[in-house]
Amino acid sequence: MTHMELENLVSDYLEGQLDIARRVDVEAHLDTCPPCRELTAAVRETLALCRSAEDVEPAPWLVPKILRATVGERKLTWWERAAAAVRPVLNARVAYAVGMAVFSFSIIINVAGINLRHFKAQDLKPSTWLYQFNRNGHLLYARAEKFCYDLKVVYELETRLRQLRPQSNPSEEPKQSPQPEAPAGGSTLDRPPAAPQLAHTGQLEKGSWKTPGRSSELSSPYAVTAATYVKKSPGSRFELPLVFSFYTVSSVRSITR
Amino acid sequence: MRTLERGDGSGVDEQPELVKRALAGENSAREELLVAHSRKIYNLCYRFTGRTSEAEDLTQEVFIKVFQTLRTYDAAQGAFSTWLNRVARNHLVDHYRRTRKDRLTSSIDEDAVQIEARPSQSTSPTEQVESRERRELLQAALGRLSPDMREAVILRDLQDLEYEEISQVLGVPVGTVKSRINRGRLELARVLKRMEPMRGQGTEP
Repeated sequence: MTHMELENLVSDYLEGQLDIARRVDVEAHLDTCPPCRELTAAVRETLALCRSAEDVEPAPWLVPKILRATVGERKLTWWERAAAAVRPVLNARVAYAVGMAVFSFSIIINVAGINLRHFKAQDLKPSTWLYQFNRNGHLLYARAEKFCYDLKVVYELETRLRQLRPQSNPSEEPKQSPQPEAPAGGSTLDRPPAAPQLAHTGQLEKGSWKTPGRSSELSSPYAVTAATYVKKSPGSRFELPLVFSFYTVSSVRSITR
Repeated sequence: MRTLERGDGSGVDEQPELVKRALAGENSAREELLVAHSRKIYNLCYRFTGRTSEAEDLTQEVFIKVFQTLRTYDAAQGAFSTWLNRVARNHLVDHYRRTRKDRLTSSIDEDAVQIEARPSQSTSPTEQVESRERRELLQAALGRLSPDMREAVILRDLQDLEYEEISQVLGVPVGTVKSRINRGRLELARVLKRMEPMRGQGTEP
């Protein structure tokens, strides 16, 4: 048997369609001919690969698409229509946008003071929204302001306490601070506790509360400026935030130094 | 699984009735025919072209043709599926001839893409990826056969048709079918063998 003959018979051989005599011939040739054996094995593998290949799944829109092209538009059932309507919404970007819209809407509703449980016709009027918005804004500001003044009182109390303590041993503080200006500014003003102004509280508290040993902080130009500013206009509503910011700056400086 | 699908007698028995109803203009009957056969035809188109979008278009064109020429189907001459396969096969061959020019210019790029794409897929160790890789390999190898051999091998080894059915579909004698299938398998085995080392190179880096 030649190679050519074997090639012609290889399919029939692998499919078991040869009669006995032919099969014996083929097998005899395969025993003696490595290239043909290799070829037969390769074809067998190929056959197995083809047979094991599964059907490709067509896209889900294929049948509807062909239906539209051939039969024409079919009347959709209600759930198919609903699914078609929902499909474009079911992607991450749209879902995120809707989520953010709901979130910001809820914030606006909240600020506008609308209670969804007890909804009134009045709530729909833009003037009501403006009024509520204005009101909430002022409330917020007032709350912040109150918080600041509360803090002020706390500091004031604290300062008073500290004033009492140095008075028990007054000779300590000037000794500890080598620079003359700062303790002078603090202590001379503070010694007569008859009329303690905010300026004193701001300055003293900076020096003594944070780092009693390093009272040189008091000499920092920020603290002095803050003190003079606060002294000038004690009733101003900006004084406290300013003092706070100066205080923060100087304390940060003292930490980083 | 495929043989089971093919072997179910109920579907074959219903076909002439369905075709009659479809010819009478019943849209539901057409839809049933389409649902029953679109998968097979789609697979035939996919195996022949190797591209899903092209296979979708071809499937649609085949069914348009089928519904246009449904009158010419004669139940006495054979099963509906054989007739359908013949229509599809003729359309595929037409399509192949029409697009031969485009393919000659684009085949090089396509091969390059396939070879490039393979390493990244083979790095994943899962069997799923491996089987997909084998499928793609088979598809690429099929694409290198001549259309005569390709359609014979697809109908026989991927669609599990009998030699007689294939001979009816292709309109050639059974002997010719057998020899085409045999030559097709040999060629496919050789192509696969040539592609294996190429794949091995791709996976190494």
